[in-house]
Amino acid sequence: MAVEIPKALSDLPVSSPRWIGRSVMRVEDPLLLSGRAEFIDNVVLPRMLHCAILRSPYAHARIRGIDLGEAESLQGVVAIVTGEDAQRWTQPGPTLPENWGTLCLATDKVRFVGEPVAAVAATSRYVAEDALEHIQVEYESLPPVADPVKALEPESPLIFEEHGSNVMLQRVFKYGEIDAAFRDADHVYTEKFRWHRVGANPLETFGVISQWDPIEESLTCHGSFQSASHMALGRTLTLGLPSNKVRLISQPHGGSFGGKGGARGTDISALLSRKAGGRPVKWIEDRMEYLMAGGSQAWDRHYEASLALKRDGTAIGLKVKLLDDLGATAEGYGAMSAAKPLASFTGCYAIPAAEYDLTIVATNKLPASPYRGMGPPPHNYVLEHLMDIAARDLGLDPAEIRRRNYIPPDRFPYTIPTGNEYDSGNYEAALNKALEMSEYKELREEQAQARKQGRLLGIGLVSTIEPGVFDWNAYAIVGMPGTGVPEGVRVGIDVLGKITLRVGFALEGQGQYTVGAQLLADYFGVELDDVRVVAQDTQSAPPHFGPGGSRLGVAMSAAVLGAAGRLKDKLVKVAAGLLQSKPEDVELMDGMLRVKGVPGAEMPVAQVAATMLTRSDLLPPDVDPSPEATYVWTAPGRTPADEQGRAKTYLTAANACHVVLLEIDPETGFVKILKYFIADDCGTRLNPSNVEGMIQGGVAQGVGAALLEEYVYDEEAQLLTSTFMDYLLPTINEVPMTEKAALVTPSPFTPLGAKGVGEGAIHTTPAAIMCAINDALAPLGVRATEVPASPNRIWSLLREAKRTP
Amino acid sequence: MKPPPFDYLDPRTVGEAVSLLRQHDGEAKILAGGQSLMPLLNMRMARPGVLIDLAKVAELDYIRETDGGLTIGAMTTKRSIEDSVLVQKRQPLLHAATLLIAHPQIRNRGTLGGSMAHADPAAEYPAVAIALDAEFRVVGPDGERSIGAADFFVTYLTTALEPTEVLTEVRFPALADRRGWSFMELTRRHGDFALAGVAVTMDLEGPGQCSGARIVLFGVGPTAFRVHGAEQILIGDRPGQAVFEQVAKKASEEIDEPLSDLHASAEYRRHLARVLTQRALLQATARAQV
Amino acid sequence: MTTARQVRLTVNGVAYEAQVEPRTTLVDFLRGDLGLTGTHVGCEHGVCGACTILVNGRSVRSCLMLAVQADGDSLTTVEGLGDGKLHPIQEAFREEHGLQCGFCTPGFLMATYELLQLNRSPSDEEIKDALGGQICRCTGYQAILSSVRLAAAKLRE
Repeated sequence: MAVEIPKALSDLPVSSPRWIGRSVMRVEDPLLLSGRAEFIDNVVLPRMLHCAILRSPYAHARIRGIDLGEAESLQGVVAIVTGEDAQRWTQPGPTLPENWGTLCLATDKVRFVGEPVAAVAATSRYVAEDALEHIQVEYESLPPVADPVKALEPESPLIFEEHGSNVMLQRVFKYGEIDAAFRDADHVYTEKFRWHRVGANPLETFGVISQWDPIEESLTCHGSFQSASHMALGRTLTLGLPSNKVRLISQPHGGSFGGKGGARGTDISALLSRKAGGRPVKWIEDRMEYLMAGGSQAWDRHYEASLALKRDGTAIGLKVKLLDDLGATAEGYGAMSAAKPLASFTGCYAIPAAEYDLTIVATNKLPASPYRGMGPPPHNYVLEHLMDIAARDLGLDPAEIRRRNYIPPDRFPYTIPTGNEYDSGNYEAALNKALEMSEYKELREEQAQARKQGRLLGIGLVSTIEPGVFDWNAYAIVGMPGTGVPEGVRVGIDVLGKITLRVGFALEGQGQYTVGAQLLADYFGVELDDVRVVAQDTQSAPPHFGPGGSRLGVAMSAAVLGAAGRLKDKLVKVAAGLLQSKPEDVELMDGMLRVKGVPGAEMPVAQVAATMLTRSDLLPPDVDPSPEATYVWTAPGRTPADEQGRAKTYLTAANACHVVLLEIDPETGFVKILKYFIADDCGTRLNPSNVEGMIQGGVAQGVGAALLEEYVYDEEAQLLTSTFMDYLLPTINEVPMTEKAALVTPSPFTPLGAKGVGEGAIHTTPAAIMCAINDALAPLGVRATEVPASPNRIWSLLREAKRTP
Repeated sequence: MKPPPFDYLDPRTVGEAVSLLRQHDGEAKILAGGQSLMPLLNMRMARPGVLIDLAKVAELDYIRETDGGLTIGAMTTKRSIEDSVLVQKRQPLLHAATLLIAHPQIRNRGTLGGSMAHADPAAEYPAVAIALDAEFRVVGPDGERSIGAADFFVTYLTTALEPTEVLTEVRFPALADRRGWSFMELTRRHGDFALAGVAVTMDLEGPGQCSGARIVLFGVGPTAFRVHGAEQILIGDRPGQAVFEQVAKKASEEIDEPLSDLHASAEYRRHLARVLTQRALLQATARAQV
Repeated sequence: MTTARQVRLTVNGVAYEAQVEPRTTLVDFLRGDLGLTGTHVGCEHGVCGACTILVNGRSVRSCLMLAVQADGDSLTTVEGLGDGKLHPIQEAFREEHGLQCGFCTPGFLMATYELLQLNRSPSDEEIKDALGGQICRCTGYQAILSSVRLAAAKLRE
């Protein structure tokens, strides 16, 4: 049965929406504010045990032997597992690229500091950690590979001997007439950039309780899973279980940002549960474990990039060479971040040709994981900085060079050379708005005055695309198969007229339950409180993925509207009978099923639903007695990528223009952000305060990435940033309060015209800050190309400037 | 990250605490505010067999005026020091330093004595103690003794306290008239440990000549320390831009081997010490002239 | 093994008595022994602030205290805010969208509670100084700042 999903707010069966499009207070908040949300560590099951994991202190070593010593006989210890158990009971999990993975516990060798080697289940975490201290592992250390450039050399030690090299992927992708573009260009600017490892660090680390059923040979896990269905599928593969005997229950969780991880922890706790005769085993990752060995790290990058332009500042080609240090295995799916840049490779600009020279290499560092933004944050910084370098040389203001290169508003949908299609946009409007908000002219004047006083004031102005609603085909070049990312929901009305929305994902922070409730409350003309949103586990939920890739707002709202539409069709049929009319003459509007053009011939939705459940005699033969409907949505028009990775991948293209004013202390190199303006166009905003929250959250992570956050490894591939004393997350004092303006260029492809915005400003803020820093340093003739731009690094540049006359 | 097993004792007097320390002979550690010790315990980097909590020892939490100066009990929290009007009036340097320590939650539990005894190279209080010529009252099995600030801080995380001794109070002598002061540090985030810091006191006499000065650097070496050579340049001279530049340069040169870590290289720390010294001298002068 | 100690304390006005191992941290005691799971664990080394509660009215890191140290103390956790309904501070956070995933929120609420007890009209600088030790990874702090401003206004009424 075909269902039409409303394309605009005006298509909803409500004359004046009360909920959708407004900043309504979130329905999930009372639970969270009162501390009653059931985060995984709150869950206690009968006879539950606690897991602690013994981890390798070496980055690269062979395991010669494991002696459990007194660990097993310690009071409170119930089970211990090692690589032997993993070998007996598990397979390597899927990796991306394929075949660069291991088992959940090391067997013959360890490849990164923190790799799990053994695990204990005991009556408390305290006792389990005591037990770890009794386990002796004999290591034979191997030379560690800490430098991705050295890892490429033929004499380099190998992370996986069987591969014969440390190169996971090496390809050059060419799009359009790239060689001609560079040959014929009037100007070519080339620069190298270094982006250091950063990562998600949600406030809640990963946690899981695994329960093995020894009779049924099935597995049930509660956990802080970002995508429970995805994690469940992985477990069927690693643990060799039938797919309908793995049940994952996702708890509300404390953020994820792509980097929750948890595959190994789930497998390890499952093995312990198996060994402990089926007792549930809880593993809560502690923060040091997370930083060192969790889903915590991403984007360890060496870039060399070039921009080719015509005399008038029109860019005609972009080449990006990327050496991506993925770490010891490809288990973390961090390679997705190397592929996603293709989705917005040339940014907001009508650059017709491009080249992506990509090498993904293995070293003895932590396997990289996804992190919000999934790769474009560093890529956008590279592109935007090149635009500024060009602008400076050509004597153009950064606003002007961008203006000359924007894809014009009448050219959408627009296909970029790397194959993705941008749905809609008006980049110049966003630029103008940002210039107006920031009083840009006055900022430049302020800067000119400041420069006379020897102050280093910098203005960053950047425009980026923030792609939304991902598809698997976006990661085809690193080996991801398939197309279509389903999101399914079930909407039901009960006999008393209350509505329940059943979804496949748990609370993560984006406010999606509220959006779902807003949609249904307006659709069926009820109060927001009349709608309850309930998460279902992987065994009960329709096909789904959950949050990720800025998809859920669009995907869930599409599924909700689809289900609502199917339900409406049933209600219409039933109401037609009850109102002695025909279905084509009955419509839903403002909570009433009514005969068109016949005032008074109407019934409330609740009454029709109740009739379906209590008066089977009054139902038409082709309607089941169930005021419920399911709908599974996936983005239309997705096809497999071609050999070059070209495809329509991300469905929507939100756009942001950021203007930032900052000052560098010329004596110390410290950066102080003074003003920050954002003009953001993400189409229709289903809940504006949710959207602003996503944007501002992205700003904070962007500030962290640009100025503070960095995982540091030494030459032995030992992690030096092992606590929050050294990995610096921004606090309320480091994040600027930003002034935001909304522009709305609706998407022609999505329900109600909304675009994905969940990843938000992290796509843009690092570029904005780095460009502002470089704007401040420009008169000194030095460039900041290493991220984060720590005070020490900036000071070194200032010193370099003083030496060069 | 759970602590290893240990026994816990909570003596009621200093004498009891001392005798417990002796009894457990190297296996025992004093627990004061816990803000430095607890992370180490949680990480299992400290493994004492016994923790001796001073929280219930009577009379270690006080701020008293003594001969125009202040005497503060070792278990006085940083928050009490922050909130004390007496401290604000009599020892503004100590007060200003307190405001820069970490965050309210840490200051609510962290103690003066704990901070001094822990002697973190980037901690604020040791620098204040040295700048103000504080006296440390210490009690051990052989009785009481007094240690001057100059002798109290030995090296990285090490003080002159014997394993069986307890620090009971710190006395900050009265400030001279026309004493200018400044306390500055540079941190990557608000409340972080200092990459470099300086405490300055300056006495001006008559027509504005500097008659005394103390310049104490912290965060750049194994302990906070005075840069005597730099002070000497200042004494006898009139404060001014050129002198301050000279003094600051000398101060930075007096750091033997600046600490180097992933947040700041040795060179950078040396440079920051110079910049901060100069800025602090300017501020101290302005205060002295008021 | 080490000798268990008796601990007597009050949490949210309710008296508790328990035997604890000395090494049990206060946050683990609250969550595990007392079942008060509103206080969260984020780092166990005193930096993130997720575990912030009030001890005798003062905000502290409960991951940096031992349960035995709280003997005789009066504690307040997020469960003690509001009396079966949301406290004005919680309402303010809701109205201003001052939370997303909610994991850091109890810590922010308790730190805010202390701030507003001591200072009825804090400036933005004072708010930032009081909350500088609480980390949020979701909101970017802007909505938290406006939540605290609103909370102060509500409490002044």
